[in-house]
Amino acid sequence: MKKKRGISRRKFLIGSAAGGATLLAGSYLRPNSWAAKPKAPEAVKLTPTLCDGCGNWCAINVYTKGDRVWKAEGNLIAGNNVGRICAKGHALLHEAYNPDRIKSPLKRVGPNKFEPISWEQAFKEIGEKTRQISEKHGPESLFWLHYPEGNAALAQRFMTALGSPNVFSHGSTCFLPRNIGWWLTTGSSKPEHDFENTRFMLFIGRNPAAGLQLRQLKDMAAGRDRGARMVVVDPRFSEAASMGHQWIRIRPGTDLALMLAIAHVMIKEGTYQKDFVEKYTQGFEEFASQVEQYTPEWAEEKTSIPRDTIVNLAREMAAAAPRAVIHRGYHGAMGTQYKNSLQLVRAVACVNGLLGNFNQLGGLFEPPKVKLGSLDKERFPAPPKVDGPMVDGSTDPERYPLTPKGHGLTHAIPELAIEGKLKAGFVYHNNPLRTNPNPARVIEGYKKLELLVSFDYVLSETASVAHYILPESYYLERDDVVHSNHCYKSKQVAIRQAVIKPLYDTKPLFHILREMAPHLGIGKYFTCTLDEYNEALLAPLGVTLERLKKEGLIDLGGEWKPGEPKFSTPSEKLEFVSSTLRDLNLPAMPAWEEPLVVPNRTDPHSFRLIHGKQAHQTHARTVNQSYLKEITLVNDLGRVWIHPDRAKALNVRDGDCMTISSSVGKGRARARVTDGIHPECVFLPSGYGVFSRNLKTGFGYGISYNDFLPTYFEPVLGHTMSGEIIVRIEKT
Amino acid sequence: MPRYGIAIDTTKCIGCHSCRVACQNQQGLEYNQSFNWIKEKERGKFPSFAKEFVPLQCNQCENAPCQRVCPTGAIYTSPEGVVLVHKERCVGCKYCIEACPYKVRTVDHHEGIVVKCWFCIDLVRAGGEPACVTTCPTQVRIFGDLDDPGSRISRFIATHRAEPLRPDLGTRPRIFYKRS
Amino acid sequence: MPESAWGWLIVAYLFLAGAGSGAFLAAVACDLLAPDWSRTLARAGSLAAGPLVTIGTVCLVLDLEAGLWQPWRQIYLVSNLSSMITWGVIILSAFIPVAFLYAAALNEITFVGRFAKKYLLHLEIVGSVLAASTAAYTGVLIAVVNGVPFWNTPLMPVLFMASAISTGLAVAMIGAAILDINTIKTLSNFALGHLIFLSVEAVVLMMFIFMSLTRSVEAAASADMLISGVLSPYFWVIVVVLGIVLPFLLSIVEYYKYGELHKYLVIGADLCVLLGGMSLRAVIIFSATPPQVI
Ligand SMILES: Nc1nc2c(c(=O)[nH]1)N[C@H]1C(S)=C(S)[C@@H](COP(=O)(O)OP(=O)(O)OC[C@H]3O[C@@H](n4cnc5c(=O)[nH]c(N)nc54)[C@H](O)[C@@H]3O)O[C@H]1N2
Ligand SMILES: Nc1nc2c(c(=O)[nH]1)N[C@H]1C(S)=C(S)[C@@H](COP(=O)(O)OP(=O)(O)OC[C@H]3O[C@@H](n4cnc5c(=O)[nH]c(N)nc54)[C@H](O)[C@@H]3O)O[C@H]1N2
Ligand code: SF4
Ligand code: SF4
Ligand code: SF4
Ligand code: SF4
Ligand code: SF4
Ligand SMILES: [Mo]
Repeated sequence: MKKKRGISRRKFLIGSAAGGATLLAGSYLRPNSWAAKPKAPEAVKLTPTLCDGCGNWCAINVYTKGDRVWKAEGNLIAGNNVGRICAKGHALLHEAYNPDRIKSPLKRVGPNKFEPISWEQAFKEIGEKTRQISEKHGPESLFWLHYPEGNAALAQRFMTALGSPNVFSHGSTCFLPRNIGWWLTTGSSKPEHDFENTRFMLFIGRNPAAGLQLRQLKDMAAGRDRGARMVVVDPRFSEAASMGHQWIRIRPGTDLALMLAIAHVMIKEGTYQKDFVEKYTQGFEEFASQVEQYTPEWAEEKTSIPRDTIVNLAREMAAAAPRAVIHRGYHGAMGTQYKNSLQLVRAVACVNGLLGNFNQLGGLFEPPKVKLGSLDKERFPAPPKVDGPMVDGSTDPERYPLTPKGHGLTHAIPELAIEGKLKAGFVYHNNPLRTNPNPARVIEGYKKLELLVSFDYVLSETASVAHYILPESYYLERDDVVHSNHCYKSKQVAIRQAVIKPLYDTKPLFHILREMAPHLGIGKYFTCTLDEYNEALLAPLGVTLERLKKEGLIDLGGEWKPGEPKFSTPSEKLEFVSSTLRDLNLPAMPAWEEPLVVPNRTDPHSFRLIHGKQAHQTHARTVNQSYLKEITLVNDLGRVWIHPDRAKALNVRDGDCMTISSSVGKGRARARVTDGIHPECVFLPSGYGVFSRNLKTGFGYGISYNDFLPTYFEPVLGHTMSGEIIVRIEKT
Repeated sequence: MPRYGIAIDTTKCIGCHSCRVACQNQQGLEYNQSFNWIKEKERGKFPSFAKEFVPLQCNQCENAPCQRVCPTGAIYTSPEGVVLVHKERCVGCKYCIEACPYKVRTVDHHEGIVVKCWFCIDLVRAGGEPACVTTCPTQVRIFGDLDDPGSRISRFIATHRAEPLRPDLGTRPRIFYKRS
Repeated sequence: MPESAWGWLIVAYLFLAGAGSGAFLAAVACDLLAPDWSRTLARAGSLAAGPLVTIGTVCLVLDLEAGLWQPWRQIYLVSNLSSMITWGVIILSAFIPVAFLYAAALNEITFVGRFAKKYLLHLEIVGSVLAASTAAYTGVLIAVVNGVPFWNTPLMPVLFMASAISTGLAVAMIGAAILDINTIKTLSNFALGHLIFLSVEAVVLMMFIFMSLTRSVEAAASADMLISGVLSPYFWVIVVVLGIVLPFLLSIVEYYKYGELHKYLVIGADLCVLLGGMSLRAVIIFSATPPQVI
């Protein structure tokens, strides 16, 4: 948004001589100039669409002035953002004009050397190579990796057509245990929270105030305004803690102990919801005798939380039940963080069960789901199903039976490439080189691939090592597939659509796949147009595509109402004892399990490294956006948090530079000395460490936790265990 | 004529900076210009440690030091009580920046003048609310008429005894904070 | 977040306006009190005053942005009588012509000078009032700023006034040496002036710093920056030692060893006073700490 300097030097001279007097008079005549002058001489237009700044896909209305994007406002009825937009949502509008953008398909001709090519040439060469590899090594040697967008189903169709079961998501670096733990316990992997009406909310290793979910935040604030109590359990004073009533400082990796002790207290004191437990749960007796050993005193040892705090927490929650709720978790303690995360999620689900809050006012509920239609199989034949486990062992009964297809283990890809089991990959909207553990290993693996095709809009770390880069039109420039993940309390359907024309020679994923398919010999599965596809999805809803495009998001009613809880587990009950786990010979009941690694308590240099989101950065990609990077710089938000006592022992003062190293990496960061963190760990904001030179704004700023994280596979699900990092810290 | 003000509930602010960027877009500001700052304040020692995020923007002071020192008379107060900058009069001497105790004024090097938050008066006059108010995920700000005792903002200020920042400076701000 | 919006141009302006008006006052004093042996000094002071204040004003204008690109906007600068800049513009607009006229008169430059000579005393009276106003005004300009508690004290104009006079005297002395190197000997007469005004400046500076330490947290923070913080090397070495202590000591020697001090030391002492005066403004501007508002 470059404006021209007030006036040029030549004008200055002429102006001062001649025009001065007139201008002077002119400005006196407009005393309200700033207020009254029309701000936009160009036509202002509004287009409803969906943000692509993170996985929330908030519904936004984007304003353009002339042909330039201006600003956005949240869609007021959208279930998951109800009129709000975060800093990224606003700032990423500018990203369309980032000079780092890829302007046409590229072919890599040397290390970090690219040559623009035509789409035709790209499709032809990719098609030929893929077919060769598939013939030689079998279609199982092909994979697709993405952050699943609305068009995940397309990617699935594409890979199925190619005959490969290997569709990966970011899941093993993000949410895997959370999804599986809930699914095992309640039959549903993502219950929602009625924070608006609750009396007590507890957050454990979840920080919606930075790992944003705008709807949740709004409801949390509303619930709090109505008198709900808000408690946050975190090793550091998180942003959620700053709006909460109580911060409970916990030793990282020990939340499971806290949950077990809370269950212990509620059962021992008989304050759990007995009716609910009796009617809707399975295995309570066994669970009760299991948690008898987990006293608050025992938990104090494990968690460093005083016994009384634990007891009070259990009592307060029980008193507020069933209008008391523990957040279902996301990436923090309940995501892919600790060896015991799966058990923790199970325990959290069980304690929610003791609170009897399922499908209750102020408790947990299953958000209403929209059933989208599908393509008419006569007109548009579907490719034959591909059976069998993924190449990484996902769904393989012998390896990771619970890890679902379509997610798999993204961080196994480099290992599999090194072993020669994967030969060619398509990476869409995902950046494993930066967001997977142990980058040296990831780079080595990805470089082994015979063919790597990246779909990105800038030369991310991953795109920078790909053989071909197919630039997707930026989200403000593309029409996308219909979405139905806006449902919160009612059914909603939404669509992303182009706000401006593509600035460069780029295409939406749908068009790329459709045009590339014939070159791969799978053209017959990609004959429909995007509109036809979307119309098919909308068909059962009684909503026309035209109307959806006009409104951007349509509410279909079907409000959630409190009522009888339903569980789609094998027993159709909430399972304290999981029948699925028992069948697989895995620990069927939440039981204490130590984290994989612990810092050396006698070594002043030894810490656990924990990490988390900041509200103004998404993963490690948005620091390349100047408005967002500026927020970090102005507020000095890239620093690593360290406890004053520990800092003192290392002779580190606020702002000093520290050298951080682990078994796999080394880096430097400045210290933020604060009492808001557990002495045994340091906290690193997770949004930094861009190392692609092609991202000029973000390049070189800060470090990433992945630089220190060894390549682990958690035994049951195979996730990254990204909280199991021990680092050595020294003053630089 | 309403007299506009904002009430800010810092106990709900999470420092997400959405307000900052919403404002930058609304006003067409560059990445390094802002009308809106989020300050962090830590208090106490564990276990009574706490942290507060305090949003800061022009207070539209009734007794505005910036207005008093501006040699060109470029700073004036609108009928709604919003302190405005007359773009064509400002010479860019930056005296007002020095005079503002809240340090919320910014040089616009393109226009060569000093600008600041103006309560989105264009949006407000058109019946809307400021961009920083509507975008906030936790609804930290309440915008409204201070002269109407029944307005949400007046009731909020009364119920919570919200106070301006540094009332002792005598600037009579029109932004009121609830801080605990 | 902007903390001090002003930089070196404003520092230069504050310094030059002070030194210029100080030089004017020095010239008038010499002309009135000791007309004979201090003629050169009066001439030098009068010649320096106008140009210095003018250059200072140019610095001020260069610091403008829109007002520089569209100079007609500068008309507005006199719009607000509650603004010290408005007063400054008025005072400077009056003082600059008077200063030039006085220089012309005292040095009998062209027919204008010869004509003005008739009104020399009038010029001296009016000019002195304007010069004193200019010197004090540079202090008042920042003293009224409640956005910077450190500056916000009535001592500020006093401090700037004292510094203006000592730097003005230094300018006049250097000027005199340039006009006629032989005057160097007689300059020792003025060392007493330095002793007096540097003492006054030192005392006021000390009071200013000490009072700042207790006045408010923010003023204390600024003062700390000078005493022991990031600016302390500049403050102690340049402002205090080079700018006050050294010239003070040299002036004592100069005064007692009448006319014996080496000429470079005489000039050096005066240059030190100038350096100190400039640095004093700089550290005061750069140590601005905003009020703690949250
Ligand atoms: N602004 C923004 N919002 C986002 C995203 C983003 O990148 N940026 N990404 C989205 C995605 S994909 C995700 S997965 C979610 C993630 O959202 P969250 O799950 O909230 O993710 P984190 O910030 O990683 O972790 C939350 C908190 O866990 C704490 N923590 C770490 N270890 C422990 C522990 O052992 N015990 C406890 N109790 N706490 C611990 C951290 O200090 C942190 O405050 O956010 C989503 N929203
Ligand atoms: N360092 C670090 N690693 C992390 C995390 C972290 O916070 N920091 N978080 C973890 C979590 S919770 C998750 S969910 C994963 C997320 O892992 P990723 O999905 O890999 O994370 P992002 O950084 O969002 O990367 C998205 C990629 O998509 C590209 N992209 C952006 N817009 C478009 C577009 O319109 N079209 C296309 N085709 N591409 C686009 C970006 O340039 C970037 O390369 O990372 C995990 N790993
Ligand atoms: S939370 Fe922010 S970045 Fe994510 S989709 Fe919503 S507005 Fe965009
Ligand atoms: S948008 Fe709201 S919560 Fe976020 S920083 Fe601004 S005031 Fe605070
Ligand atoms: S807050 Fe500052 S800029 Fe705003 S009116 Fe008050 S003094 Fe002026
Ligand atoms: S910068 Fe502009 S608004 Fe500020 S005091 Fe100077 S003329 Fe007035
Ligand atoms: S009221 Fe408007 S101008 Fe002021 S900070 Fe908010 S968005 Fe910006
Ligand atoms: Mo995630």
